[in-house]
Amino acid sequence: MRNIFVTGMGIITSLGIGKDRTLQALQQKKSSIGAMKYLQTTHNNFPVGEVQLSTDEMGDFLNVPDGTYTRTALLGRIALKEALQESEINEKRPKRLALISGTTVGGMDKSEIFYNDFLSGDKHTEYIETHDCGATTDLISKEYQGKFDVITTISTACSSAANAVILGANLIKTGRVDAAIVGGSECLSKFHLNGFKTLMILDSEHNKPFDRNRNGLNLGEGAAFIVIESEESVNERNVNPICKLSGYANTCDAFHQTATSPNGEGAFLAMEKAIQESGLKKSDIDYINAHGTGTDNNDLTEGIAIMRVFGDKIPPVSSIKSFTGHTTSAAGSVESVISILALKHNFIPVNLNFTEQIEELSFKPATEMIPNKDLKHVITNSFGFGGNDSSCIFSQIDLS
Amino acid sequence: MSIYINSIAHISIQEPMSENWFHSPIMYRENYVRSIEPDYSAFIPMMTARRMGLVMKRAIATALKTIRETGIENPDAIITGTGLGCIENTEKFLIAMIENNEELLPPTAFMQSTHNTIGSQIAVFLKCNGYNSTYSHRGTSFDSALFDAVMQFELEKISSALINSHDEMTPNYFKLLSKLNYWKEGEISEEVLRDGKSKGSFSSEASVSFMLENSKSKNTICELKGMEMMYEPDIEQIEVCLNKILRRNNLNINNINAVVVGVSGDKDNDDIYTELLSSILPQKPVVWYKHIFGESYSASGLGMYVAATILKKGILPKHLLYSKTCTDASTPQNILVYNHFQNKDHSLVLLSSCNN
Amino acid sequence: MKELIEELKKQIIEVLNLEGIQPDDIDETAPLFGEGLGLDSIDALELIVLMEKNYGIKLSNASEGKDVFKSITTMAEYITNHRIK
Repeated sequence: MRNIFVTGMGIITSLGIGKDRTLQALQQKKSSIGAMKYLQTTHNNFPVGEVQLSTDEMGDFLNVPDGTYTRTALLGRIALKEALQESEINEKRPKRLALISGTTVGGMDKSEIFYNDFLSGDKHTEYIETHDCGATTDLISKEYQGKFDVITTISTACSSAANAVILGANLIKTGRVDAAIVGGSECLSKFHLNGFKTLMILDSEHNKPFDRNRNGLNLGEGAAFIVIESEESVNERNVNPICKLSGYANTCDAFHQTATSPNGEGAFLAMEKAIQESGLKKSDIDYINAHGTGTDNNDLTEGIAIMRVFGDKIPPVSSIKSFTGHTTSAAGSVESVISILALKHNFIPVNLNFTEQIEELSFKPATEMIPNKDLKHVITNSFGFGGNDSSCIFSQIDLS
Repeated sequence: MSIYINSIAHISIQEPMSENWFHSPIMYRENYVRSIEPDYSAFIPMMTARRMGLVMKRAIATALKTIRETGIENPDAIITGTGLGCIENTEKFLIAMIENNEELLPPTAFMQSTHNTIGSQIAVFLKCNGYNSTYSHRGTSFDSALFDAVMQFELEKISSALINSHDEMTPNYFKLLSKLNYWKEGEISEEVLRDGKSKGSFSSEASVSFMLENSKSKNTICELKGMEMMYEPDIEQIEVCLNKILRRNNLNINNINAVVVGVSGDKDNDDIYTELLSSILPQKPVVWYKHIFGESYSASGLGMYVAATILKKGILPKHLLYSKTCTDASTPQNILVYNHFQNKDHSLVLLSSCNN
Repeated sequence: MKELIEELKKQIIEVLNLEGIQPDDIDETAPLFGEGLGLDSIDALELIVLMEKNYGIKLSNASEGKDVFKSITTMAEYITNHRIK
């Protein structure tokens, strides 16, 4: 397979703006889940992973005009800005460049406030055009001063951003583009909060992934983009690759819209196929960045799938949703960035809030940051409603 | 590597799952037309159908029709394009949330509100563990889904793919888009749409499923020879892209017998097509379809369906001709399908006849 | 009790959109989930909303529903003992 390198990353979550803040919080084991500050809802008792900026403050940060941007689009632009900087794309443009972004609620933060105005009056109608997913990507793309060659939007719920990575890689492999900026963005919304609440999977305390007494998820918000690029383009642009995207797969659990199959078939197939594609042995995988939402259903079946894939040699597993909450459509790229940070700085992001092992599982999540050996290959899982399951593998660049 | 379209099914404002539109289309005068529903009991058991909104029922029915026709029960990929997803359920949940002040909300509506419900419910229905993705990119959602599939065929990751294009239009969303001048006011007619001097088109719904395979079957409709997508290209870039597709197939621009375009009666939309056609594809017969199928985020799926049907039948009926001054195209061999959305995202698809 | 059972049957048919099923088709002692009516986890969530909306009963998590929703009869018994409207 043609080598695909990562040459830049950008991230914003409740842990803060940028990779440095993110890394610091992970290494200091500081969760950013807390009381709701910006989202206006009657259910403000639920803890969330909220970006500590109001929507207006984000607009100011980016210097964009008032009243045209939704929170999801602004989050996306902040992450894109950092990814563009690190990859030096503004200075040295790859020949052909794509932007692939994932979102589900899109501009819902405005629609849910202005919906009645949309219908009955003529106020705030500018936000009608920013409601849908595609419009969100279009707004995010404005952060780049140049012109993208291809843009599209993926909406597969909580695996959206991981599927963006996969499409971007295929665009590069077929020679259609030389580099692709891939990821996703999603803000907290009343819509999502109430939706997950009706499914009774919101924990009213801090989420406890892979704990026997886990009680649901905390919603988060954020955005992340990674720049993936062909080897030729990396050489041509003379930029430093951070790591390699060595495998990926997308499968469907095909069981139920919101419940996972008892043996985690979709998750199992996603990990199996990604490893197969990478050409690695299972024992080469040094860390599993789990989807680990903290719900009864996910953590049990993901755990079973991990046991099925890795047998009795399970590498360290952790879910960083105990730090950021579930960033939904952005989770795939947020956790890709975090997995790459782990790879680059040789540490295992720990699974917070863990006390007791799930009895059906043969393993506990990682609570120690220090790995037994250098991290060379990490796998990150992202699973969405409808059983849209994806896994991506990132690897150290082999210097030998 | 070859890609064949081996089956297509549609539910639209023309007679569902039928090709009657090819010779005697239904013409509409209203600016908001909803799809004609088939009898779903032939496709979906009652206990399964009870939770499904309209777009879901249409999606399952069209998917099953293509599966029954091809015998491919487990396609390697199910890829869906939808601009608005399950907007009926999204609105249902949103309105309940606003009216009931965030209390006593319907879980089913939320569960069925995500865009990928369509593609994943098809997979659940078929018990299909293969690749499954959903694109939601306004008027090029279907194009993106197809593009994904084409690349995976090229990379030999898949040998069959079920590609879907689905959008429903609720009364509320119709009203919202009216405020942005998406729809014409007053009576719609072919003349009004052809005239193309004002904003807007007429609103419809579209559900189309295609079964693509890397091998021919006895029912093959046509071959898909190539596809590209571009963002904000100038005319020169489109020409370069088109030539790339043609060259890869040892064809040149003279081999294109007709161009299917998404002209809709909306001035801003149509001008882009007219400009491109006159500068790089002059004298080609131009085919339109939105005058009989209407406009929606999923309309481009119907565009490819129309092109494929012309190739299969080997004739180009007069009522589909947009250009009045075309030369003979009695047995088209190669048809270019060109779509753009707001002059941002553009797509080119080349289809060829398999009748020989 | 009998009245409540009939009332529940009608409500369940409506809220779960059980087209084509009549109240008399439902055996109030048969299991609602798995076999019997064949309902699933999402239906359970809808029933939880129904209980709160119509009878003012709040179940705080889905697992509490397991015993309550065994059959229409168990549901009716639970409602009789806990209803506040």
